[in-house]
Amino acid sequence: MLKQIWLVPALPLAGFVVSLFAGKRLGRYAGWLASALVVAAFGVATAIFLDLASLPDTNRLVVRRLYEWIAVGGFHVAVDLRVDPLSMTMALVVTGVGAVIHVYSIGYMRGDPRYGRFFAYMNLFVFFMLTLVLAENFLLLYLGWEGVGLCSYLLIGFWHERPAAASAAKKAFVVTRIGDTFMLIGIALTFLRLGSLDFNQVLSASVCRSNGFCPPTSQPPGVFTVIALLLFAGAIGKSAQVPLHVWLPDAMEGPTPVSALIHAATMVTAGVYLVARTHVFFENSGVALTVVLVVGLITAIYAATVALAQDDFKRVLAWSTISQLGFMFLALGLRAYWSAVFLLVTHAFYKALLFLSAGSVMHALDGETDLKRMGGLRRTMPLTAVVCSIGALALAGIPPFAGFFSKDDVLAAANQTGHVLAWVIALAAAFFSALYMARLVFLAFFGEDRTERRAHESQPVMTVPLVLLAIGAAFGGFLGANETRGLLQTFLAPVLGRVPEPTQGLSGHTLAGISVGVAALAIVVGWLVYGSGRIDWVALRVRLSSLHRFLARGWYVDDAYGAVLVSPGKAGSAFLAYVVDARVVDGAVNATGRLVRWLASVGRRVQTGFVRNYALAIFLGALALLVYVGFRV
Amino acid sequence: MRTPIAYFLVVSAALFTIGSVGVLVRKNALVIFMSVELQLNAVNLALVAFSRMHGALDGQVLAFFSMVVAAAEVVVGLAIIVSVYRRRQSANVDDVNLLKW
Amino acid sequence: MAADWIVFWVCAPISIGSAIAMLLQRNAVHAALFLVINLFTVAVLYLVLGAPFLFAVQIIVYAGAIMVLFLFVIMLLGVDREESLVERLRGQRTIAILLGLGVVGEIVFAIRAGLGFATRAPGGFEAANGGGNPQALGRLLFRTYFLPFEVTSILLIIAAVAAMVLARRRVRPDPLPEHRVPGPVEPPEPPEPAASLEPREEEPVG
Repeated sequence: MLKQIWLVPALPLAGFVVSLFAGKRLGRYAGWLASALVVAAFGVATAIFLDLASLPDTNRLVVRRLYEWIAVGGFHVAVDLRVDPLSMTMALVVTGVGAVIHVYSIGYMRGDPRYGRFFAYMNLFVFFMLTLVLAENFLLLYLGWEGVGLCSYLLIGFWHERPAAASAAKKAFVVTRIGDTFMLIGIALTFLRLGSLDFNQVLSASVCRSNGFCPPTSQPPGVFTVIALLLFAGAIGKSAQVPLHVWLPDAMEGPTPVSALIHAATMVTAGVYLVARTHVFFENSGVALTVVLVVGLITAIYAATVALAQDDFKRVLAWSTISQLGFMFLALGLRAYWSAVFLLVTHAFYKALLFLSAGSVMHALDGETDLKRMGGLRRTMPLTAVVCSIGALALAGIPPFAGFFSKDDVLAAANQTGHVLAWVIALAAAFFSALYMARLVFLAFFGEDRTERRAHESQPVMTVPLVLLAIGAAFGGFLGANETRGLLQTFLAPVLGRVPEPTQGLSGHTLAGISVGVAALAIVVGWLVYGSGRIDWVALRVRLSSLHRFLARGWYVDDAYGAVLVSPGKAGSAFLAYVVDARVVDGAVNATGRLVRWLASVGRRVQTGFVRNYALAIFLGALALLVYVGFRV
Repeated sequence: MRTPIAYFLVVSAALFTIGSVGVLVRKNALVIFMSVELQLNAVNLALVAFSRMHGALDGQVLAFFSMVVAAAEVVVGLAIIVSVYRRRQSANVDDVNLLKW
Repeated sequence: MAADWIVFWVCAPISIGSAIAMLLQRNAVHAALFLVINLFTVAVLYLVLGAPFLFAVQIIVYAGAIMVLFLFVIMLLGVDREESLVERLRGQRTIAILLGLGVVGEIVFAIRAGLGFATRAPGGFEAANGGGNPQALGRLLFRTYFLPFEVTSILLIIAAVAAMVLARRRVRPDPLPEHRVPGPVEPPEPPEPAASLEPREEEPVG
């Protein structure tokens, strides 16, 4: 089955094509078709995964060439698909979570006039994401990268009649573009310096051993730093890290399944995948690793504080995603690549779950997302309340749910590699994470009923996916339970390196205890403030209003961008459009026209109509000719 | 013969020039045509003079042909002038200026 | 004094003088008559140059036929029309005269460069004129230049046909203004207005 890896991206692509052309005619069945194709892709991926796992440890790499794409001079790029542990893990996550979300969307998007097109875009997205993770060379990866960016734009702005959605889509595209440009430069540099874009050649030639020994390369010292940082810039954009994070909260204007699939589980994790895949570059350059670490850490704590002050259900989750991605990059920066991937997988489960529950709530409340207008929903939507709580607990890191194992892994890595300060800050971020999730759950599902409508539980086509994801969120942690001998870590070892035994810091159990304690403390605080009704949090907010506003506006980062970059940019564009284009360019063109006309009006006076003038001209010419001949002779 | 050939050529040049000026200055179509005939004559004179200089009769033959062609040309040209006159009731060359811009 | 010297110095000035006079006449008939004088003198110059046949042809064809044709047409077009002396085209006269001076200067320069003015007069023509000038011309014409000869005959026929076509009357004649008949029958194409057209002041070329 390994050879049929091409089926995995091909199935959703076929779905896209069919939905594009026959979407209207398929009507309701478009959703089922799209979901079925993704499920089929998941099935094929599973079979391939099993086949791969049956191969011996050191031999788990299959590259399947589809065709020669570009062959120009010394530049050869083929469409190659790579089957190895990391790519298969990612593929399974994408197709698995993707399939579940597709099924959910059948119910969520029912009644939408562009139903078919929605599923076309969703399938296209899955295709591009799979291309991204299965690519064997940088160019194909970049193709997938740009493709998912495109689909993100299309899907965020799916309801493009709403100006907020349209501008959010544009913002997402533009901001990620900034990162993508740097990434492209990085890819070009890779080709220039290392001579090839194929992972097989590039990533092994620059391999550092896991004990830190890097072979002396023929490259000047800074090359890997530059390449790594450029690629990381692309990751910053796509994975919404500081400073290119501003698009993700606005992207919540899109339909909720889109938020779940693209902006929680898959697309935003592309950056993490990229760094994990090219970690040898980062290993060769200590600076790059440090940068990754710092960026991840800052993002984690920053986004967590902002999430605390959000009133919109989905925005809490958006900022939470940013923060969790920060954790993943923190792990990458700590050289704990397997932890990052593990967190990625578990995060996919519980974040998708949380988003889908949000969708469930919104569906029931006619699109309401304001937490202040929810409350007591556990009475009317018990199932949603339960699964959402499971997701929240998982995110907070309470055992035995998935988040405990994965987040704990990251915190342990911080502590046990000696980065104590990072560990402390990460713990604080974990505290806030638990706190805002507790706040979310208590405000939405507990307490008195502040809703304006009567809520109801969702239809089965939406609740079944929720349950499936809840199972994943609940038990997914056992995939990597023990950090050195967990299933996932062992499986990924050929690609990401063996997990070293901890040599310093606190012991694993102590660390686990601290993490759980912090999380539990946060939940208790959340219960006290938001759930029990004993503390008037509204009044508290009023008293701390400037702090609250500071947090709620994302520490005014977006506003700063607006003032420093966007407004001058718009002014510049206006200048270019109305002055340079209208006056200078158009003026030049019009002036050319006028010049021609003027020349013609002068020139036409030659045609006097008088024969004698013409005769004079002829004679003058003849005379000139005579003179010329005379002088030559 | 005592007169150098160059003298005949000078006469020819003078006649030719006078004919050219006549073409450019006069307004009556017929007089212009007559000036053209004058030019042709001048050329014929030059041809015969050269024929004498070289001692061969080819120049004279050429002059002969020139005369024949001039005759044909006069016929056609006068026919044109007559038909233009019928249209515009004027033999003034400045009156046929419809190709003016 | 050689005969040709005297004849030349009599005929050349007359020739040039009559040409200038033709230029300056306001009446077309007078101009034609001066041209006839010029043609006669040029014919004499042919004779001096040893081309008696051309002398005869010039008088018979040019002066006799062509100029007569000219006079007929002048008669048709109005014998007593005087050409106005006002020059409407700015600069035309001055440039024309300058041009004339330029052309003559150029040709004289060319003659001087090519021939020089003090060449001895050329020798006789007797060898070429063997058997008489017309006979020699005939030999040349019907042997070496036979094709052009035939072509010119075709040319003459074409010219005759062309003249007939160009000058024929239409089926419905354009009535001259003074002959227009007032009545129900209107001419289909009224003629253009007559010499009331004034040539406008225009920039000449150059």
